[in-house]
Amino acid sequence: MQYIKRLFIFALLLTVAMQLSAQGYQLPKYEKFKLKNGFTVYLMEQKEVPVISVSVILPAGAIYDGEKAGLASLTATALKHGTKNFPKAKLDEELDFAGASISTYASKESAGLSSKFAAKDKDKILGLIKEVLLEPAFDAAEFEKEKKRLLVSLEQQKESPRSVIGAYFDKFMYGDHVYGNIIQGKISTVSTLTVDDLKKFYQENYLPEGSAISVVGDFNTAEMKSKITALFSGWKKGAKAQVNLASKPVTPPAGNRVLLINKDDARETTFYIGAPGIPRNNPDYVAIDVVNTLFGGRFTSMLNDELRVNTGLTYGANSRFSPLKNAGTFVISTFTAGKTTEPAIDKALEVLNKLHSTGIDENALASAKNYVKGQFPPRFETAGQLAGLLTQMFWYNFNESFINNFEKNVDGLTLDKAKAIIAKYFPKDKLQFVLVGKSADIKKIAEKYGPVTEVQIKEEVKKAF
Amino acid sequence: MKKLFLIALLLPALFGRSQMKADDVKTFVLKNGMKFLVVEDYSIPNANMYLFYKVGSRNEYQGITGLSHFFEHMMFNGAKKYGPKLFDQTMEFNGGANNAYTTENVTVYTNWFPSSAMEVIFDLEGDRIASLSIDPKMVESERGVVLSERSTGLENSPWNLLGQQVQATAFQEHPYHWPVIGYEDDMKNWKQSDLERYFKTYYAPNNCVVVVSGSVKADDVKKLAEKYIEPIAAQAPPPPVHTVEPPQTGERRILVQKDVATPYLMIAYKAPEAKHADYYPLVILSDILSSGKSSRLYTELVDKKQLATSVFTGYDQSFDPTLFQFYAVASKGVNENDLEKAIYEEIEKIKKDGISENELQKIKNQKLMEFYGQVETINGKSNNIGTYEVFFGDYKKMFDAPAEFNKVTIDDVKRVANKYFSKSARTVGILKSNTNE
Repeated sequence: MQYIKRLFIFALLLTVAMQLSAQGYQLPKYEKFKLKNGFTVYLMEQKEVPVISVSVILPAGAIYDGEKAGLASLTATALKHGTKNFPKAKLDEELDFAGASISTYASKESAGLSSKFAAKDKDKILGLIKEVLLEPAFDAAEFEKEKKRLLVSLEQQKESPRSVIGAYFDKFMYGDHVYGNIIQGKISTVSTLTVDDLKKFYQENYLPEGSAISVVGDFNTAEMKSKITALFSGWKKGAKAQVNLASKPVTPPAGNRVLLINKDDARETTFYIGAPGIPRNNPDYVAIDVVNTLFGGRFTSMLNDELRVNTGLTYGANSRFSPLKNAGTFVISTFTAGKTTEPAIDKALEVLNKLHSTGIDENALASAKNYVKGQFPPRFETAGQLAGLLTQMFWYNFNESFINNFEKNVDGLTLDKAKAIIAKYFPKDKLQFVLVGKSADIKKIAEKYGPVTEVQIKEEVKKAF
Repeated sequence: MKKLFLIALLLPALFGRSQMKADDVKTFVLKNGMKFLVVEDYSIPNANMYLFYKVGSRNEYQGITGLSHFFEHMMFNGAKKYGPKLFDQTMEFNGGANNAYTTENVTVYTNWFPSSAMEVIFDLEGDRIASLSIDPKMVESERGVVLSERSTGLENSPWNLLGQQVQATAFQEHPYHWPVIGYEDDMKNWKQSDLERYFKTYYAPNNCVVVVSGSVKADDVKKLAEKYIEPIAAQAPPPPVHTVEPPQTGERRILVQKDVATPYLMIAYKAPEAKHADYYPLVILSDILSSGKSSRLYTELVDKKQLATSVFTGYDQSFDPTLFQFYAVASKGVNENDLEKAIYEEIEKIKKDGISENELQKIKNQKLMEFYGQVETINGKSNNIGTYEVFFGDYKKMFDAPAEFNKVTIDDVKRVANKYFSKSARTVGILKSNTNE
């Protein structure tokens, strides 16, 4: 059993590449090409260990769930329920025997696959990856078992404030925009899903033209190029183009609001204070990261310094931007004992006000710049990390200049610019509070911060708040 | 936190061709007894420093429980040259980050930095090892931090609560009895004098092993160690932990109430410490049982019988005899007794019929991949080398481990299953909503 100094101070933004820096760090050479069916391929040789990592990204995330919350996630999971040539048990056996892994999952906007295996097993495992992606069997019996496990897990998540607060927050922030969709689903919607729903979702959304694969590790590029081409050229384009459901604008909040999620046996209050953030392609992305590092992105950040180090109100406090393609959120996140709910929220707000009123100085800015640069190279050290970066580059449409110019971009951030970033991107008002705790003890406090909507943690998340 | 009850995969090294050899580790011992292990690795322009202190909750006694972990926190709260907050501020200004963790056995400090900052890191470490200042005001605010850490663990994971109870039941005399985080009342009662004694006794250079990996030269590490660390005086060795847990002679059972969707089950068998010859076959046995979806427990309990939604096992390195633990969450509508029985059936199958050569080979293949994962990063290198040095007595054993694992036969696995998985040596814990039925 371990207890660590800090909990999730370093919680990253959703994208892999947010905490960055480089001491002349350059992205290793890679090759990018597109198959005739539109599937994009990235190949990068890395020979430190005889291992290969694969990352695949597909336009099949929870934004396409429609009314069936959890559909994208279950579809991704069910890819591993067996394929044309490998029933589930056989597939698991083959992977385990090779010490290999293939995992499949859905996030808000995309679905993904990641895999790691010994270089000597590349033919076998790449073949399995192809079957999992292109020829899933969607076995009905396996689906029913998965669904039962998921329903228990959805119930269990309600036992842990940390596990559910993010979904409530997204729903509260995004309202009926598809970015408010709950990735893991809800008990009522998951209960009614059938294996046919999965098949339909798969047909409509697992399409080569919007997808990419990256392969990083111990191989020869020319040889891998012909392997990947042979494996995936037969993947048929979709019958009709996907509609970009996320392009609809997000309605910004009109004023302060509080969502209070009552948990009768809570001993602490877990809370987010949020506001609209930025999409991933925001040109100030790097500058925002540096400023957020100072505000709530590292141990000595203003938030953690005040809420943890100076006052001992919490084990950790942080802030982060979570950018997606078309929008994003900003959040201050922490937790505290039930009886210190009010001082903790007040302190968090005080620190936010201080960011605007006092701002930051040259010394602090220099420190943040050194920090993001110094902590950058280890984030792209392994084949798996690099494979993930390449598919992120595809999804968010950026290239290696982001990595290669990172140090320059960080260094170029002046104090004036940092001040402008604070004014523009860090909220002052119209704050969105989400609190999970014991309502009987904290409702009066919650009312201080805005009109309160109270819900029960044991109930389902509403369609909108 | 994330590693609270998961199987710690610290588990070093294993077979096969690694790019790394024992000779690649340069070692030296300072005059004050602090041992350094250095791996030069220029794959990224960064380096790390891992400091393993041989102190954990096993060195505590009732009344001061949780003090080792609290002390870990206090090591960041100011020394002579770098006062309160300056350790973290200086490190981060220089591009470095850090963390630390405490277990029953050890307290480990981890620094990650651009290699250009190495001298600053030595200066910071030297300062706090030589002359930590324990400011009563910092003690009070930090006490709030660890109380919050304790509370948030219990708030967010039923395993936390159940695990503490099972450990307390399985160990009745040995200090593994109490949780690393400590008892709430002890946490509110730690005294200045307890902290001062702890520092002098356990934070002596001769009670610490340091590993540095990354783009640094071993000679430079040595020069800096001599400059910043060597002047710090050695201390008398800490008192040994003399309490030996008496043999368990009958099954122990506990029930814990918490409002949960379905029952949580833990079964813990007494098992030997890392230096014991049965360590390797037990690690393999653990993987046979629960590593991957083709493992015995997942296949039978989750997939075929659908009695559990998840199942895993854990067997960690320790200095003293420890526990081999089974964890399972019951499916909806399943009685936890049926789940428990089904686990025993799987154990009995191995005790009676053993395992297949194919299963054994599968685990050996997995160990090889695990090993590649561990030497792929400079952090994996430091962590594994340090773990072997501390828990197995010699970092070189990391390089012998491949042979040790390869020596394990299917008969060894059957033998250890019979030796350790006996009813009278187990503790069973159940956490569920209704404990009155």
